[in-house]
Amino acid sequence: MMIKRVYKNLKSTMLLFLWLVCSVAVLAQDRQITGTVKDANGAGLPGVSVVVKGTTSGTTTNAEGKYSINAPSNATLVLSFIGYVTQEAAVGNRGSVDITLAEDVMQLGEVVVTALGVERSQKALQSSITKVPGMSLTAARENNVGNSMQGRVAGVNVTKSSSGPAGSSRVIIRGNKSIGGSNQPLYVIDGIPMDNTQFGQVGVWGGTDQGDGLTSLNPEDIESVTVLKGAAAAALYGSRGGFGVINITTKRGSNKKGLGIEFNSNYVFEKVYRYDDTQTIYGPGGLKANPADPTGPQIYAKPISQLEAWNWGNGAMWGPKFDGSMVPQFDGVSRPYSYAGDNWSRFYETGSSWTNSLAITGGGNNQTFRFSFSDMKDTFVVPNSSFGRKNAALSTNGKFGKKITYNAKVMYSNEKMNNRSMLGDSPGNAPYAIYGLATNTNVMDLMGDPNKPGAVPVGVTTPDLKSTGEEYQQANNNWCQNPWWAAYQITNENIRDRFITSANLRYNILDWLYIQGQIGMDYAVRNSNSLVPQGTGYQRGGSKSETGQFQREINQEWTMGADHEFGKIRVTGFVGGNKMTREYERIAASGSNFNVPFFTSVNNTSSQSFSYGYSKSGINSLFYSAEVSYAGYLYLTTTGREDWFSVLNPANNHKFYPSVGGSFVFTDAFSTLPEWLSFGKLRAAWGQVATANVGSYAVVPTYGLLGQGHLSLPMGTFAFGDNIPNPNLNPALSSEIEFGTDLKFLNGRAGVEFTYYTQKTTDDILSATISQSSGFNSTSVNIGELTNKGIEILVSGTPVQKGDFSWDISVNIAHNENKIVTLAPGVTRLFIDEPRTRNAGVYQVAGMPFGMILGYIQKVDPASGKKVYDANGYPVRSDVMEILGNGIAKVTGGLSNTFRYKRFTLDALIDYKFGGDIYSGTEVNLTSWGLHKQTLEYREGGMPIEGVIQTGTEPMVNQFMVRYQ
Amino acid sequence: MKHLIKLILSTLLLVVMIAGCDTEDLHDMNINPNAVQVIDMNYFFTAAQLGLASNGSSGDNRYTDWRTNINFASLAIQHTASSGANAGEKYFDNDMEPLNAPFQFYYRDALRRTTEILKQTSEGGSMEGRLVNTRQAARIVAVFDYHRLTDWYGSVPYTEANKGLEGIFQPKYDKQKLIYTDLLKELDEACVAFNGSDVDYAGFKKADLIFGGDIAKWKKFGYSLMLRLAMRVSNVDAAMAATYVTKAVAGGTMASNDDNAWIKMSLTPSESTNQNGISRALYPGDGGDWANRLLSKKLVDQLKGTNAASAADDDPRLTIFTQGPIKWTASDLGVVLEADPTKWIGQPTGYDGSMLNTEYGGGSPVTPYEKFPAINTKMLQDDEPYMLMFAAESELLKAEAVVRGIGTVGGTAQSHYDAGVKLAMQMYTPYDASLVVSDAAVTTYLTNYPFAAGTALEQIGTQMWLSKFMMWWEAWSDWRRTGFPVLTATNYPGNATGGTIPVKLVIPAAEAAGNPNYAATSTQPDKMTTKVWWDGGAE
Repeated sequence: MMIKRVYKNLKSTMLLFLWLVCSVAVLAQDRQITGTVKDANGAGLPGVSVVVKGTTSGTTTNAEGKYSINAPSNATLVLSFIGYVTQEAAVGNRGSVDITLAEDVMQLGEVVVTALGVERSQKALQSSITKVPGMSLTAARENNVGNSMQGRVAGVNVTKSSSGPAGSSRVIIRGNKSIGGSNQPLYVIDGIPMDNTQFGQVGVWGGTDQGDGLTSLNPEDIESVTVLKGAAAAALYGSRGGFGVINITTKRGSNKKGLGIEFNSNYVFEKVYRYDDTQTIYGPGGLKANPADPTGPQIYAKPISQLEAWNWGNGAMWGPKFDGSMVPQFDGVSRPYSYAGDNWSRFYETGSSWTNSLAITGGGNNQTFRFSFSDMKDTFVVPNSSFGRKNAALSTNGKFGKKITYNAKVMYSNEKMNNRSMLGDSPGNAPYAIYGLATNTNVMDLMGDPNKPGAVPVGVTTPDLKSTGEEYQQANNNWCQNPWWAAYQITNENIRDRFITSANLRYNILDWLYIQGQIGMDYAVRNSNSLVPQGTGYQRGGSKSETGQFQREINQEWTMGADHEFGKIRVTGFVGGNKMTREYERIAASGSNFNVPFFTSVNNTSSQSFSYGYSKSGINSLFYSAEVSYAGYLYLTTTGREDWFSVLNPANNHKFYPSVGGSFVFTDAFSTLPEWLSFGKLRAAWGQVATANVGSYAVVPTYGLLGQGHLSLPMGTFAFGDNIPNPNLNPALSSEIEFGTDLKFLNGRAGVEFTYYTQKTTDDILSATISQSSGFNSTSVNIGELTNKGIEILVSGTPVQKGDFSWDISVNIAHNENKIVTLAPGVTRLFIDEPRTRNAGVYQVAGMPFGMILGYIQKVDPASGKKVYDANGYPVRSDVMEILGNGIAKVTGGLSNTFRYKRFTLDALIDYKFGGDIYSGTEVNLTSWGLHKQTLEYREGGMPIEGVIQTGTEPMVNQFMVRYQ
Repeated sequence: MKHLIKLILSTLLLVVMIAGCDTEDLHDMNINPNAVQVIDMNYFFTAAQLGLASNGSSGDNRYTDWRTNINFASLAIQHTASSGANAGEKYFDNDMEPLNAPFQFYYRDALRRTTEILKQTSEGGSMEGRLVNTRQAARIVAVFDYHRLTDWYGSVPYTEANKGLEGIFQPKYDKQKLIYTDLLKELDEACVAFNGSDVDYAGFKKADLIFGGDIAKWKKFGYSLMLRLAMRVSNVDAAMAATYVTKAVAGGTMASNDDNAWIKMSLTPSESTNQNGISRALYPGDGGDWANRLLSKKLVDQLKGTNAASAADDDPRLTIFTQGPIKWTASDLGVVLEADPTKWIGQPTGYDGSMLNTEYGGGSPVTPYEKFPAINTKMLQDDEPYMLMFAAESELLKAEAVVRGIGTVGGTAQSHYDAGVKLAMQMYTPYDASLVVSDAAVTTYLTNYPFAAGTALEQIGTQMWLSKFMMWWEAWSDWRRTGFPVLTATNYPGNATGGTIPVKLVIPAAEAAGNPNYAATSTQPDKMTTKVWWDGGAE
């Protein structure tokens, strides 16, 4: 959550590309024809499909646009490439056939993958669907594909946490639509939903970002991503489509002779580029009695002993000005009382990510395949933290005869994350410790035993009497770790093995009628362990946990579809069904207090416990889609889906999700329109989807057993924990209507897309925070109502196109207005979460936008409007938390510039967010620690304040004062 | 090819049949294999009892004790002292956790479970009319928690509390007088309803962590609690106090240390569930806060008696509560740095580090744990039993009732006082067999400091205060009511009470913001300085 930014890690990313693309074609037939395919600017076009007409033999052009193919003299070559007008060329007697492909300015021939993997032409699209090419995901590469969406798609707001290389990504499409739900879109890979479980996030008591399902994906395997933003576009996903859908299409083999081998090596390094700007004038210390005047006012003092230095070792930069005199430090060694320099650059390392991938594609007339393997090694800027991922994927497409086609795919990933950083609260949090470290101390002096960073070296006595090999603490605070100890000794590890597989078989019964079945599985095993070693400040006995998790989602789906033309009227549609089951299992063993010193096995702990969890859920569905078009310029579509849920009360376990939409290409309908308007389309769509799912076993109250009992006696508990189940729960409903227009001008050199949407969620499931005096923390109720409305604009153009040079520019901008209409009856504020400072929090407030930040402020005298102080001149806190701001950006977007000169391309994306406030716990702590630059003011000589004095606790006396301290 | 098509079509047909239907399979999928519809309420009873010990059945057993009992109450009543900033001794309100913790945990722990036991054993429940003894014991457990909540916060949810499963999510707050009236009625009814020949007695006996099913002891526990509650209201409702003091004494309160209520704890399996939360907060291998909660000057001076230079007139509890200043590391059980009790001095209350340096180090740094006595490590092992209630309190309360003429008690004030002091001094052996005080030592103490009618209330109050070492939050309630011993408040810069010892805990901000009943029905102003009803505040 944005308010828990203990440290900011705005990284600068330098990219070094090593593009090695080789295409090898081995051919043996007829006469060899060679040639070059160029675009209008004369630049070679790579990847153009070159096929001998009427056959299946073909090739693609290489990186320079060159190709070579064997063909007889009477052959005609068909050259096609997405975004360009397909051309044919007769070979004749020529040995060399050079072709210039014209850009298809309207790009209207391009098909877009819509819901359930259905490919539709852009003309027929009735809601805003944006396609992101795979290139965009591999350029400035992110380990988590979700993060690559930022700035690419209007209306998509991505938040990446500063949690390291395998952190999770928060993708919000068209605003937050649910208070209780995740607000995360459904990710679909080649038509099969993927599990994107978030495994744990930092909370008020700290913790680690445990990552999500997206980190498994290799961006190199992705052909393109389409984002289905609105309810109408996602309605075919019914209860899973409420937060939008991100459709991922993976690369496939192509129909050509020989093998295509692609090797790709990519290196990214990252450095922490901004170290926070703290004051370096005053050193550690605090107020002490003045030896010259023991009964007079206290003076700022610096440490005069190891113990004092240790007491002021963290977050106490309230000493006098640095003067260079020798003073003892936490380790008893005297060093100059002066700024020790930047500890961040001593601690942080240069992070790097090195990816090597190999793809082999090939195929014949009846079958094509693509195999890819990739290996990524990422080291984080925090020492001893790394992420490794290996991906292997094999996909194949083929056909039996003319009527049967099939495809199958296996994607395997192995991920290993070492030492996710502890964030938020202080325990185990290295950046927190460096922030608070006395600024006259060099963090390298905290290294202790060089063979065990952060540990007490042999022969050293610490103020807290730690033994050799235990944590070497720099401050009298068990909850503040030695940063080296936090990085090297407090460790955690996750290993995930995952298979995402699918198979699809399609039988074209007639030219216009097909039936298709497909099955897909997302299967993952995740093993984790975490170690707090013996000697750690806050847990001196140490602890270890080992967790095994298993999850599996299976989707079985059939569809029967038709596509038939009746004169100018064309009807396409399908009906189908889906059966989804999902299982999750977790077993964990944990122990504390190691018996054999420094032997870190869970078997070696003196207190041991285990826990086990299992859940299963399923949805059965039937769906249809029907589209009627007239003369290729008027389209009407309707879809519907009925879902039956295992997690709902059987009396009330199904729901229907409809959509309807239309589009009208008026430039095709009217021939009298001006020349400069090359293309124009109006569209409108309405749909309903669900925005939240109910968890398994959440409708009936049941009992379970608590832990392993006490003294061999079993203990009973409620199986539902702190959230009261509700038998009448339903998925919340999201209804959305959108209107838009797509325009292209000047033969496509400029274009505008505009969308307006208004969305409303009703019956939102609130895990409503209830009074703890009810005996529980929360209950799930179908009660909330939220609205979102907004606009999305995409403007694109080619301002310069001259010779070999061209400049494309594209700007997208989205504005979303969100409002929480109602919470539960009588509830105007709903607590969501809070930072460790616990003097502020995120609340949902009725009548306000999603994600309000509330906190205490200084009390203001309502009569005079002046700030209130107590008799000693300290500010008096407001009685209740007041609204401080809102955490969600109001405007998001991206500006993309692409410069091409011959075969060089420079891509630059600037993504931006405007609006949205941050409550920074870091700033609060830095201020209270005397590190923030704002603490420089009035340090000496007192601070003039003007306000009202509050005497006693109540009532307020209307008395003004000016005080110098 | 034909076969293939047939195969495909029949596969698809199969898919059609299994998908998109409202099947039994789908319904059965929502039956949790790890949960049951009915459970033995004795299992809930065991959990409720463990919940009395540091809320150990709802998560982290050290949370509430560490924050409220140790970090707030032990400092506020000046048993311990700290050089740090805190609510208990410096009266700060910037860290609200010590003031919020009980509200956050009490309802969700023992009370959640006792509520379910009472629901299932009453009309319409799955065990209606059964588990008679479990039911009565659960009522006593509930009273034990509820009286603390109202003692600490004033008006709290009671009649509508713990009814989340009935759909009451934002309960109204009840006035303390109403709560006390009902709590005393509950104790009265429960104590007479135990039945040793109940058909379900065996299950209760097995599940009972405190008394192993000994009904006589449960009744003594109930009546002792009744006596405590009756005396709590004695300053503001003489009639209620008199009625229930008389009933409690007639019913029979705890009379020997064998009657005391302890919860046995265990090192395994889980430290956050099965161990002693107080120990965990202070033990160096765990929370490690022992060095920041050293014995206060007030307490040490009291225990050292009138002649600080002599050990002969010391309270025998001096060497029970502490071994003196120690170095305590994970690998040994505390190296005593100064074994001579006559040299021990307590840490002054309300001081910060620099004030200690000035007064005790001549300006040089003072390491508090090297200077001031620490809590005895023999009371702080992770598997120490957790003390709930003891006989000495009942005797001291009877002494007070006799002195003040409340109800029908019998005996003399001195007889109860002497008995109370003796019981209090000799109750520590469950922590460690070596923590023995001989009868002779008790006699010497009572000879040196005899009960005197002129100072009776102060003596009784002081003995009550001494007896509640480790149960500091109860000592805080006693002190608020009696004003004894006389404690000198601190006035550290920036304190939130204007230099007075806090007399109320504060409701958590999330509750204040979330529960619409808070503003109108809670005790207001919701500040540390507002007195609760029995302390002279509003009903």
